[in-house]
Amino acid sequence: MLPVMEVAPHILLIDDDRETRDLLAQFLQKHGLRVTAARDGRDARRAWPAGAYHLVILDLMMPGESGLDLARWLRGVSDVPIVMLTAMGEETDRIIGLELGADDYVPKPFNPRELLARIRAVLRRTEARGPRAGAPARPLRFAGWTLDPTRRRLLNPAGAEAALTGGEFDMLSVLAARANQVLTRDMLMDLLRGRQAGPFDRAIDVAVSRLRRKLGGGEAEGNLIKTVRGGGYVLAAEVEQG
Amino acid sequence: MARRSLIPRSLAGRTLLVLLPGMAVVQGLGLAVHALDRGELQRLADGRDLGARTVAAYRAVTAGPPEGWPAAAAALDPAGGIRASVEALPFREGMDPAPLDTQRVIRPYLAWGTLPQPLRPREGLNIRTAGENNIVLSAHLPDDRWLVMRGGFPMAWPWASARFAWAWAGMTLGAAVLTLWAVRRLTAPVRLLGAAAERLGRDVNAPALAEDGPEEVAKAAAAFNTMAARIRRFVADRTFLLTAIGHDLRTPITRLRLRAEWMDDDEQRRRMVADLDELQAMVSATLAFGQDVAGSEPAVPLDIAALLRTVLDEAADAWPGAASRLTYAGPDQLQVQGRPVALKRALANLVSNAVAYGGDAQVALQPAGPRQPGTLVVRVEDSGPGIPPHELDRVFEPFHRLEGSRNRETGGIGLGLPITRNILRAHGGDVTLANRDCGGTRATVTLPG
Repeated sequence: MLPVMEVAPHILLIDDDRETRDLLAQFLQKHGLRVTAARDGRDARRAWPAGAYHLVILDLMMPGESGLDLARWLRGVSDVPIVMLTAMGEETDRIIGLELGADDYVPKPFNPRELLARIRAVLRRTEARGPRAGAPARPLRFAGWTLDPTRRRLLNPAGAEAALTGGEFDMLSVLAARANQVLTRDMLMDLLRGRQAGPFDRAIDVAVSRLRRKLGGGEAEGNLIKTVRGGGYVLAAEVEQG
Repeated sequence: MARRSLIPRSLAGRTLLVLLPGMAVVQGLGLAVHALDRGELQRLADGRDLGARTVAAYRAVTAGPPEGWPAAAAALDPAGGIRASVEALPFREGMDPAPLDTQRVIRPYLAWGTLPQPLRPREGLNIRTAGENNIVLSAHLPDDRWLVMRGGFPMAWPWASARFAWAWAGMTLGAAVLTLWAVRRLTAPVRLLGAAAERLGRDVNAPALAEDGPEEVAKAAAAFNTMAARIRRFVADRTFLLTAIGHDLRTPITRLRLRAEWMDDDEQRRRMVADLDELQAMVSATLAFGQDVAGSEPAVPLDIAALLRTVLDEAADAWPGAASRLTYAGPDQLQVQGRPVALKRALANLVSNAVAYGGDAQVALQPAGPRQPGTLVVRVEDSGPGIPPHELDRVFEPFHRLEGSRNRETGGIGLGLPITRNILRAHGGDVTLANRDCGGTRATVTLPG
């Protein structure tokens, strides 16, 4: 179940509510993770040197030192992946958090199993890529379109926001990050796992066909996402970052 | 309807309707009094003139021998339109005695006393009228003939003259223009107040009215601003309350979700998670209802066609069974200005309702066109049982639910449509519901576009 590691991944869990903290720690331990819990920023700083953490779960809404300040501090001392717990509907917190370099966010109240899936996906990604670059994700531009990973939005060539479902957005992010590379269904599933639940095989084809429709071009030559014989997709465009 | 159209709709028009006839009458009366006075004066002058001339003519004519009188009379200077002649009779047939008041005007000026006694007329004087504006004065000459003076003696009927009509029309028109201008100027603050109230309805944080101008207007503006501030505070309080409750509920819900993971009975756990999902959805809807009014999300250009298709795609993911009955008709792209998250929520609520109650959703997007300039229309139709007519507007009230919807399958706590309407109205649009002729419900959304 877990990614291959010498020891169980060590998680630093920072949440100000004792009950939630204890329950979440127990839940994660039950699923094979090692957890160190911290009550607030001070506690977390004290616990920081003791363990080599693989991931930090950070509640953004804490009294005293805010979660954002702590995230800033963490980014200053380490590349450790951060999964934020954000308030439902608090868009700004989430955006600032992602801009600070958090790896993922889960709105509170969360579904514990979804949180677990996200944690595993982030761990898998970090493991595959090695230490992270540290810089927050920057917008990608291709063929006039702008994909802003922080705000999770796509702007069309006219500068208007084109809505995407969560699955479509993740799919386009993955394709754009590896533009002009053929990605097989298996690779896509691997890259997307943990971001979306559901019958995945079909979901990939559905998401691609919806993306094509939204990016314009229909079945014509001008299609940005091309189907490769043998079951793969490629975003055929020059992608610029920044 | 026809009766209503007779009365002008604007305050200026109504004021004019009341003031104008009154002013026309007053102008007419004023002009008439003035003209009658002037006419009276004119008659006095004319009377004096006629009298003096008659006396002078009598004296001049009788100065010579009687056989020379007719010639002398004819030779008199006919200045002032008065002609003199010597005739056998004082008047002709058809000449009536002049009205007494006319005679009264003239008689004092017949200064016979200035003539020596033997030269005075033997008999009194005949004053007659000859036709409308002429007068005939006849003085008895010593030889039984008569000196007849004919002159103009206009009656003072001022309204008969064109000048009177022009003056009256001009003054009335001038007064009308001035009234219209003044009333429009005076009612401008009322229009401003109306516009401000309209703005406030869309955006509680609209700028305050200027509290200047006439005292009453300034007072009304100040009262309006106070009211707007109270509404703002009320909305802020309510938003704060809802948000606080929502935020406070997050922690217990999170704990319960975690606790559910420790339940051994899978069936019970599944049910508990479902309950928690429902609870969370209620909190989330309440928070959204509180926050949408505050409208903190900035408006940006967005593609509403893509938004509608995404809403349908997400509905298809949520209800895979209905996926083939979710259709979109309209342009591939249509740019509008709006708040993406809020608009998506508003439209998703309509589509969810359509799918939940009708099992299908036909979405049509109609860009602004000649038939509805500046307004785009989105129609969301389903083939469900429809809504009882008396409920069509009540379903927009917060926490109001249709009788049939108080069960878990269709769910909701009665905030979906109020949130949708709030969001659309905050965008300067609106949403209405109607039953389709062929069965089912049609939601019609209008947005500026």
